Amino acid sequence: MKLRALHLTNVRKFAAKRASIAGIGDGITVVSEANEFGKSTFFDAVHALFFEKFSSSAKHVKSLQPYSGGAVDIAADVQTGEGDFRVEKRFLSRKSAKITRLSDGLTVAQDDEAERWISTVLGTATDGPAGLLWVRQGQLGLEADSAKEKSLLMETRRDLLSSVAGEIDTMTGGRRMDRVMRSVADSLLEITTKTGRKTGAWKANSDALEQLEDSLAAITAQVQTLERALGDRKQAEAVAKRLDNPEAKARRDTAFQSAKTAMEAARVHATALKAAEQERDLAKLKADSAQADLDRFLKAIDTLQAMEKQTSDATTKARNATRDAAHLSDVLDDAKKRYAVAVEGVSLARKAIEGAKTQMAAREAKTRAAQLVELMQKAQAAQSERDTAHAVTKASRATPEWLHRSEEAHARVCELNATLEAHATTLSVTYVGDARISRNGKALMADQAIVIDAETRLDLPGLGQMTIHTKGAANDGAARLASAQGVLADSLAEAGAETIKDARAQGTARAKAASDAVLAQAILDTLAPDGIEALRTTKAETDLAATEAHADPLPTIADLEETLAKATELEAQERALFEAAQADHASARETATTFAAMAEAAKQALARAETDTGPRKSHDSRRAELLRQQAQLQDAFAQVLAEFQTVTNNAPDIATVAAELKRAEDTVNAAAQERTQVGERLAALSSEIRTLAGNGIEERREELIGELDVLRASEGRFAQRAAALGRLQAALEAERDAARDTYFGPVQEELKPLLSILHRDAALSFDSESLLPTGLMRDAAEETLDDLSGGTQEQIAILTRLAFARLFARQGRHMPIILDDALVYSDDDRIIQMFTALTRVAQDQQILVFSCRQLAFQDLGGARPSITVTDA
Amino acid sequence: MVPRATKSVLLIKFIHSSDLHLGKPFGRYPEDVRVRLRQARADSLVTLAARAKDNDASHILLAGDTFDQMTPTPTVIRQALNMMRAADHVTWVVMPGNHDHVNATELWRQVAQDAPPNVALQLAPVPFALNSGTTLLPAPPTERNPGRDLTEWFDTAPTAETVRIGLAHGSVTDFNSSEDGASSIIPPDRAKRAGLEYLGLGDWHGQLQIGPETWYSGAPEADGFKHALPPSALLVEISGPAAPAKVTPVPTGAIHWHRATLDLMDTEDCTGAQSRVLPPLAQRALTLFDLSVTGRVGPVVRAEIKSACEQAAPDFLWQNSDLTHLRLEHDTADLDLIDRQGALRATAEALAKEATDETISPQARQTAQEALSHLFSVALEA
Repeated sequence: MKLRALHLTNVRKFAAKRASIAGIGDGITVVSEANEFGKSTFFDAVHALFFEKFSSSAKHVKSLQPYSGGAVDIAADVQTGEGDFRVEKRFLSRKSAKITRLSDGLTVAQDDEAERWISTVLGTATDGPAGLLWVRQGQLGLEADSAKEKSLLMETRRDLLSSVAGEIDTMTGGRRMDRVMRSVADSLLEITTKTGRKTGAWKANSDALEQLEDSLAAITAQVQTLERALGDRKQAEAVAKRLDNPEAKARRDTAFQSAKTAMEAARVHATALKAAEQERDLAKLKADSAQADLDRFLKAIDTLQAMEKQTSDATTKARNATRDAAHLSDVLDDAKKRYAVAVEGVSLARKAIEGAKTQMAAREAKTRAAQLVELMQKAQAAQSERDTAHAVTKASRATPEWLHRSEEAHARVCELNATLEAHATTLSVTYVGDARISRNGKALMADQAIVIDAETRLDLPGLGQMTIHTKGAANDGAARLASAQGVLADSLAEAGAETIKDARAQGTARAKAASDAVLAQAILDTLAPDGIEALRTTKAETDLAATEAHADPLPTIADLEETLAKATELEAQERALFEAAQADHASARETATTFAAMAEAAKQALARAETDTGPRKSHDSRRAELLRQQAQLQDAFAQVLAEFQTVTNNAPDIATVAAELKRAEDTVNAAAQERTQVGERLAALSSEIRTLAGNGIEERREELIGELDVLRASEGRFAQRAAALGRLQAALEAERDAARDTYFGPVQEELKPLLSILHRDAALSFDSESLLPTGLMRDAAEETLDDLSGGTQEQIAILTRLAFARLFARQGRHMPIILDDALVYSDDDRIIQMFTALTRVAQDQQILVFSCRQLAFQDLGGARPSITVTDA
Repeated sequence: MVPRATKSVLLIKFIHSSDLHLGKPFGRYPEDVRVRLRQARADSLVTLAARAKDNDASHILLAGDTFDQMTPTPTVIRQALNMMRAADHVTWVVMPGNHDHVNATELWRQVAQDAPPNVALQLAPVPFALNSGTTLLPAPPTERNPGRDLTEWFDTAPTAETVRIGLAHGSVTDFNSSEDGASSIIPPDRAKRAGLEYLGLGDWHGQLQIGPETWYSGAPEADGFKHALPPSALLVEISGPAAPAKVTPVPTGAIHWHRATLDLMDTEDCTGAQSRVLPPLAQRALTLFDLSVTGRVGPVVRAEIKSACEQAAPDFLWQNSDLTHLRLEHDTADLDLIDRQGALRATAEALAKEATDETISPQARQTAQEALSHLFSVALEA
């Protein structure tokens, strides 16, 4: 169905008038008028025409009646597949409905039949049209205001979607699916949280399991302690049993007593041994003493004899040595003299060489002094020349700068002179007779050009005077020339020159003097780089060095050095001989002293030996007596020693006996101590065992193991149940989402290109109950419609209607879309994008737009019919 | 073997039992069940004494593991000895086992200290005269796992002309009869080789005859579902040396341990089959019942079985129904119970496919199976 024209008679502000809109096009038609022009009246009236029965007195029907009252007539010309018809209803008074075919004016249906005709044309399953295509002023959502209309619209959407995708309840499972999902979720939430953590009975089981595992670990540790204590006590009991064994104890005691007895016997024997040892030592002392007496006597006899011979030999040697020393002293004196002569020879040879070298140096100094005199003269001449040139230069004021200024002044004078001459008035005269023209009393030369550069008075003899007046310009040139000449004169005067030629000569002279000074200084620097005074000093020194120069002949240095070498060699030989003589002499003196001392010592020793041996006649008898005593005491010592050996050989090892005693005693003590310790250990272990065993820890451990088995099995069942419920929940959600996607697929398909005009890659989510969009998904996030801006909500509402309209169109049911001052919340950019969306849909969809925003809707395009109002 | 002459001696009649495991905690069971099980084990002493009195037996031979641990609580020890003291018409011959071996010194010190006159401890492998004509040869374990045959000395033990009775604890070599998985070290022909009229063994909790004169008495009170026969002790009567021992089981158990397996197919009466494996109602209060259900059933049947198990649970002292291995079998009609189409049906089909997908892990298949089972239950209620 398509609207072609609308006619309102006696509706609201159009009381007793007929307002019409004609020329509604196939695509977009925009009725753009100012506020209060009646656009919403048209919208509400057309809504009532298609939505309200002619017999209705509903509030919004009554709202159409003007204050003056009367019947409300609403008509619309529509185009259907059957032709063009007028749908006309009269409300509130003389109520009626009528369908008239426009081609022939035939009334097709009236009243209730007309209502059914409307329903059939609009294609609604229930009474009333598909209102979802209407957008009222400022409407943001898609829901209708009243419950009835809301239900009606939902059924319309459901019919539409079901017709293309099946029944939603059938597909998604409907409320039964919801109950199943809720039940599964509730079951899952009984044991897990929404984030998957354990809760409820499962968590309680896990907590109990963890607690029991801790308890089991603790009690297992106690059991291990008990087992260890039992093992330790068993070992301790074995030790105690071993220690308490009577036979072992008797063995330890017997061993101890035996060791003590052996120790006592060993001590007695040790005393006897000590006595034998002392007796042995005494006998040995006596034997040794007798032997020593004998040895001393025999040795003294030997010493006496030796000293007698030694005294004689030493006396002889001392005498011979004294004689040798005297001879060597003479030899030494002779060698000393020869050596002194040789040393003097060397000294003389060295002095001869030095004297020759000194004479050669004096002679060279003399030659050098003569050269220095000549050099000093040249240097002094150069110095004098430089000083003269410096004086000239200093006295002259003809500096190059001065000369340059003078040259410039001269050039200026020449330039001005030339200029003046070029422009000056000249006078030349030629005489015939003798009369001469004079100026300032001076006759003018014939045939000579005279420059007239100022007022000039000429005396013409016989004729009078003639005054020549010059022009000002010529006078200026003369003045400038005079000025330049003045400048030149001043400049020349600075250096005392009268002409430029003089100046140039003075400049040249000054420049030459400066050059001469530089040259003289260079010569002076070359001849006397350190100055003339330095030359004088050098000359004085050279003169001093040349003082000893004489003209006698000189030997050669080589000859003199050969003489020195020979003298040196001789000096070395003589020194060696002298030193050898010194050594021989010293040795001989030392030998003589030594032998003298030996002779004296031998004499003293001889005297001592004579004292030790006594008189010589008693020597034999004393030797015999000493021999007898020595033999007697040696025999006595041998006897005592044999007795001592016997005692020693029979002595026990007292250290071994003591060690044995200590070992036996330690064994007895250690056994007693160990028994005490074992007894204490047994008591402690028994106490610990009784405490642990009394608590029944083994039984408790077994009990805990059993309880843990049960809890672990429960843990497994909980985990399996959570997995199964989780899997079921996921499967249910996946299938429901898949079903919804299938169900809402057609409208999403129509919506997608429209939505992408405003929001790229965005999509709408739909509620399976209301079949309306609930959220906008963009940038991987979903926003509920309520959270969106008013403009976006408004745009989504319109786009969704456009999508549903296209679904109707796909079924061959073309439904007009009527917008009453829509897009009031949209900004300028979004309005343009919405115009694009409307234009896209309008290619095969009729859209009627009422708007007071004439300027904003200029860009929408479409047909632009106006509202005509006439008297009814 | 010691040569012996056959002649008539005094008759001896005794009760052979073992593995009382007094003080066993039963931690895998709820607290109230534990208390009941522990009490039943303690009461087995009274039962044994009664059986001895009923049969005029002079001795009760306990072949090891009278106590469950090396260090039971003083309460367990004292109350056990008090019960023995009360049964003064018999002599209790108590030999250690592997749980309460000889080296459990604290235990046996306490027992020795508090034991009444009618208790004879056998802590060493030395002959012990039960009466003037009967000698007991005990082989008490020295450790938890001694690692050697402690009965070897029986062969040469001098017992004069008396009846020779051996008492040991452990596993025989051609039959792994160790409850704890220890190595088998007692030769099965030890009684014959040692000339024993009877060899009483402990360790195996079920009653078992190894040879003509060699028996495991089993525990007087069961402690698990392992052994099917009802617990009992052995009444042994010997008329003289070389005479055959007359061995008669005498019931002792108070608590029933019953394990049943129910293999179901969807075609049969599953709930009826389930009810048939249940013990009689009167017995259930003293029964621990462990039901394992296998096979393949539909979701409705599975729910019925589960409900029936839950229904019967309060009858028992303790019960467990394991439906883990009961596979869920479903067809189109079953899936229709969830939904005929739509997301619910698609979910069911996805999970059903996943549950049989051999390309994923068994764990993932099991998860899908349980998820589908849960979906059936909630969808049927929704």
